[in-house]
Amino acid sequence: MDQPPGRLPGSVADLTRLLRGGGYLADRGLATALFVALSLDRPVLLEGEVGVGKTEVAKTLAAVLGRRLIRLQCYEGIDANQALYEWDYARQMLHIRALPERQAADPEAVDKLFGPRFLLERPLLAAVRAGPDAVLLIDEIDRADDEFEAFLLEVLSDFQITIPEIGTVRAERPPLVILTSNRTRELHDALKRRCLYHWIGYPPAEREVEIVLVREPGVSEALTRKVVAAVNRLRDLDLAKPPGVAETLDWARMLRFLGAEDLDEATARDTLGAVVKERDDLDVVAGSLAEITAGA
Amino acid sequence: MPEAAAPAPMVSLLAGFGRELRAAGVPAGPGDVVAYCAALARLDPADLADLYWAGRAVLVARREHLAVYDEVFGRYFLGEPGSGPGMAMARAAEPVQALGALQVPDAEPPARGERSPPALLGLAASDAQVLRRKSFAACTPEELAALRRIMASIRLIPPRRKSRRTAPARRGSRPDLRRMAREAMRARGEPGRLLWRRRKARLRPLILVLDVSGSMADYSRNLLQFAYSARRAAARVEVFCFGTTLTRVTRALAHRRPDDALDRAAREVFDWDGGTRIGACLDAFVRDWGRRGLARGGIVVICSDGLDRGDPAVLGAAMERLARLSHRIVWMNPHAGQDGVPGALGMMVAAPHIDLVLPGGDLASLERLAALLPSLA
Repeated sequence: MDQPPGRLPGSVADLTRLLRGGGYLADRGLATALFVALSLDRPVLLEGEVGVGKTEVAKTLAAVLGRRLIRLQCYEGIDANQALYEWDYARQMLHIRALPERQAADPEAVDKLFGPRFLLERPLLAAVRAGPDAVLLIDEIDRADDEFEAFLLEVLSDFQITIPEIGTVRAERPPLVILTSNRTRELHDALKRRCLYHWIGYPPAEREVEIVLVREPGVSEALTRKVVAAVNRLRDLDLAKPPGVAETLDWARMLRFLGAEDLDEATARDTLGAVVKERDDLDVVAGSLAEITAGA
Repeated sequence: MPEAAAPAPMVSLLAGFGRELRAAGVPAGPGDVVAYCAALARLDPADLADLYWAGRAVLVARREHLAVYDEVFGRYFLGEPGSGPGMAMARAAEPVQALGALQVPDAEPPARGERSPPALLGLAASDAQVLRRKSFAACTPEELAALRRIMASIRLIPPRRKSRRTAPARRGSRPDLRRMAREAMRARGEPGRLLWRRRKARLRPLILVLDVSGSMADYSRNLLQFAYSARRAAARVEVFCFGTTLTRVTRALAHRRPDDALDRAAREVFDWDGGTRIGACLDAFVRDWGRRGLARGGIVVICSDGLDRGDPAVLGAAMERLARLSHRIVWMNPHAGQDGVPGALGMMVAAPHIDLVLPGGDLASLERLAALLPSLA
């Protein structure tokens, strides 16, 4: 069901269908936000609990639109050289050494040294060059520091990058930009204002069952319902780290791998590591496993 | 409701919605409304779901505003009876009463006409020496105002940690290829000396968690002023208040004028002079803020007397989690230095996880905190 590159889905329903074909079930709100982002060339900021599919939707979108996924994983201390471009200094130095004495002073040789051959492309430059053929995923922006956010704001506002030695690279039409944040810190309002905003919450139980069935076709529907019911009870338990959809999928996958037909107290105890990943939480859960696995 | 503009009733309808949102406190500017119109041009404005979701994506930029958006949307487009405005008013009225209980003496110098002549400065300074050791609880309002001005001049400098960013340095751990390549080019390809980069140092975040309950009332207001001064420091500072519930006041303290900032912060805290549930509040802090990264690697300063009405086990567990998340925990206890005050149970439970206990009842102890802070690396 791949879309020919460059074409946009005609409606929200179209986009939802496309995503579904790629194995991602988007609700109306998410699909609308993405559709508007595609139509108006605006970045989308996705926030939500851990493991609700923020990164996944960007990957799926790239796949079904036939676009290249360019991912910029943010981390503390990331700077412009790691996000935009960098010169390949080691090769430049070797190149200078290889030049005969007379040529090294030649302005043309210097131009060559700072030409496209020695330029290392990093995600943002790659995305600006690819323009509408790319989906740019800026993942976990909250992990980068303030300075980087300010710099990103500049790039996102006009999608052009100036490399003093080469010139300005500009995107005729910008790529689709998806930013994700786990809210480990507050983002600046200026960046938020530049973006469309969508909060992804936990899906309702019915939809979560559907998601598991689409992603893990090998798992029986009865087992899926029990797993989803159990995960939903875990979320009600006031855990330090409540399980996300990713954990539900992991759990279902694990049970299938072990050949379990049913989720009872004993199997749940053995496989709890797939969903509960905090020691304090394990203590809370251990006492009430029987009720948790009681079924839909 | 929107006025009837002839050419584009839809646009004026949407603009009216934007106005309503602004009135309800969602900062949706004209640019956002233009984007909303543009988005709907691609969608079906007659479809309520499109109208709702497009607006939600375009006009709202923070999660806290989603509920307000839902309410204004219901009122404006669906004509749902206005439980909304009444509610909003009831909510607005509450904090005003809370404010009545709080008197923050002016921290700013008096207006121009009544400024004291400079000749009196020496006397004021010697007064300050006496005031340093006087408990906040025993100070007169005038003395407190003087203390606040001194507090504003205390600089808090948290310890530094190595950041992942690097800067050129004379000696370091990794070669600076960029600079070496430039130098080599200047020397026509002759590689010169080795140049280095090293990791930069960054200030650790500072997190103040202030007890504003009844037993701390005389101190916490001054601590709030102290928190405001701390906010003006270069480092990242976060401020929380707690009594029966936990409130984040960082944003309210971001104002330039100290009195405005303190007023706003006071309005956001609902339980001035209420009881204390230290355990539950610290637990909420760890869950809602600490785990998400706010306290990670930071210096947490808790100001409380440790008189907890809740379950000590909850406090113990919360402190243990907080100790694992943060770099250092400092506990300031204004009652610690007094004779005849038995150690509070809360303090005993929390003690194993605290790196440093300081008295917090007078200016001298605040200055001691400021002096010790850089050494907590």
